[in-house]
Amino acid sequence: MIDTIATVELNILSSSTAARRYGRLRLRLKERIPVLPGQFAMLKPHGSPEPLLRRAMAYYRSERYADHLSVEFIYQILGRGTQALSRLRSGDEVDFLGSLGNTFDLKAAERREALLVAGGVGSAALYLLAEELRQRQIPARLFIGGASCGDLCGLEDFIHLLGSQNVYSATMDGSYGDQGFVTAPLENYLQERRSEPIIIFACGPDAMLRRVAQIASEHAIPAQVSLESPMACGFGICVGCAVAVKADCPEGFIYKKVCTDGPVFWSEELHW
Amino acid sequence: MTSKREDKTSHDQQTDLLAIEIAGIRFNNPVTTASGTCGYGLEMAELIDLNRLGGIFTKGLSARPMRGNAPWRIVETHGGMLNAIGLQNIGARTFVMEKLPALRQYNTRIIPNVFGYTVEEYLEAIEILEEGEGIDAYELNISCPNVKAGGESFANDAHLAAEVTAAVKRAARRPVIVKLSPNVTDIAEIARAVEASGADALSVINTVVGMAIDIHTRRPRLANVTGGLSGPAIKPIAVRCVFQVARAVQIPVFGIGGIATVEDALEFIIAGASAIQVGTANFYDPRASVKIIDGLAEYCQRHSLENIRELVGTVEV
Repeated sequence: MIDTIATVELNILSSSTAARRYGRLRLRLKERIPVLPGQFAMLKPHGSPEPLLRRAMAYYRSERYADHLSVEFIYQILGRGTQALSRLRSGDEVDFLGSLGNTFDLKAAERREALLVAGGVGSAALYLLAEELRQRQIPARLFIGGASCGDLCGLEDFIHLLGSQNVYSATMDGSYGDQGFVTAPLENYLQERRSEPIIIFACGPDAMLRRVAQIASEHAIPAQVSLESPMACGFGICVGCAVAVKADCPEGFIYKKVCTDGPVFWSEELHW
Repeated sequence: MTSKREDKTSHDQQTDLLAIEIAGIRFNNPVTTASGTCGYGLEMAELIDLNRLGGIFTKGLSARPMRGNAPWRIVETHGGMLNAIGLQNIGARTFVMEKLPALRQYNTRIIPNVFGYTVEEYLEAIEILEEGEGIDAYELNISCPNVKAGGESFANDAHLAAEVTAAVKRAARRPVIVKLSPNVTDIAEIARAVEASGADALSVINTVVGMAIDIHTRRPRLANVTGGLSGPAIKPIAVRCVFQVARAVQIPVFGIGGIATVEDALEFIIAGASAIQVGTANFYDPRASVKIIDGLAEYCQRHSLENIRELVGTVEV
């Protein structure tokens, strides 16, 4: 974990609708720190008093060079923090704290087929994983869903990486792929291919993750989910990012921290 | 070699300029990290050298572990944040067994923050901590509701605040610092009552009770409905409280509330604080406390102060 100042290389904004806008931010770091699939960084524009807190952003991609590291993030422009990020231009400085959090269990994916399930900007947390799975020659498929075609973040990159035959899409308005929730094509796929050992990796809205956890449980498939939570620090001291995890106590659960105990959890350990 | 010697000299010089004594304890400098904003201290060790800190106030500890509140627990507001963590902690015993041995290796003062919902619960926690080695003092969080007094916070009533302070003073062999709440009509009255009950020092202030509402769902943004406001937004309230309390009592005051820069720290010291605690800034600028230490030493040199204590309470009104 390092606390440093990164330089903006690119910040490209796109819109799905007027209500849903996204940014793609690439930062240059002098320190070539490890960047693992599922990990995140805390970011805010350097020297700006507002917003006060840095925002947690999952790594989307990274490129390692001889003298620097380039890391890319995809974020949805929602509140003051992400609006401030969206105003960054090439050459601007960013307060960077990273790498934070745990990583997906790649060992558990060995000799299985990996199904990646992404909802909206949740796909940003799965691209590095997809790359790593490809590198390890673990077969991987992506199920990506969103409100509309413009919300399928990183779709072209995933198609390029995995091949279009391995990318299943769904949009709520039917503008791209199947119409409806992304969990529908996932279930169809599982019904047809039940005999093969499978592992699921998912990131997206809570409702989607809940449904994915249910599907995984019904099919007795191990599943890891990457969670999002508001957090002030990202390294375990604010205890703001509580998530209920099953425990052997009268209430049946305790709170763990998304930042340092996660953000990746086995779906069966979560107290949904 | 030369640069190393220079570092050593400047470090010694810095200690001369900044070392202070509070309640019989020597602090290398007056900059500490506030309870609830630095975990159990060790979480910060990867980002800053804990030996640089004057002291560490740990996350609030109770006799037994606490699970904490349901999420959402935090929300950012303008210039600050609301939190309702619910005092989640590992419990005093686990702290003594698992955190303290590593923490006491550092050359800094270790001050567990302690809370309870009855006077007895405070005493239970203190009893456990008394067995721990390497603890320098205790800080009492008295902002919890007293379940035996109809849920009224200890901090909001001079009698309750005095009662818990006196009870802990009788049980503790180490100095006791009482953390006051700003959510009262007359903070000086509470300060005087706590001083009369034997408190060795005060921390001023705890968070300011606040609330935020989601206009789309019309529900509170925090699951706990209300939470504690912290960060730069509360600094003027905290400076006012430190000013009022420092004039009302003889015992030293730790100033706390929105301190993020050396200028903030100086303002508190001039208002009457003998030392300061850095809180919410640890979340978004983990090196804030170290920058403040360097800044204070520079200020002393620039203003030809022999020691920072010369500045305490020098506000002219």
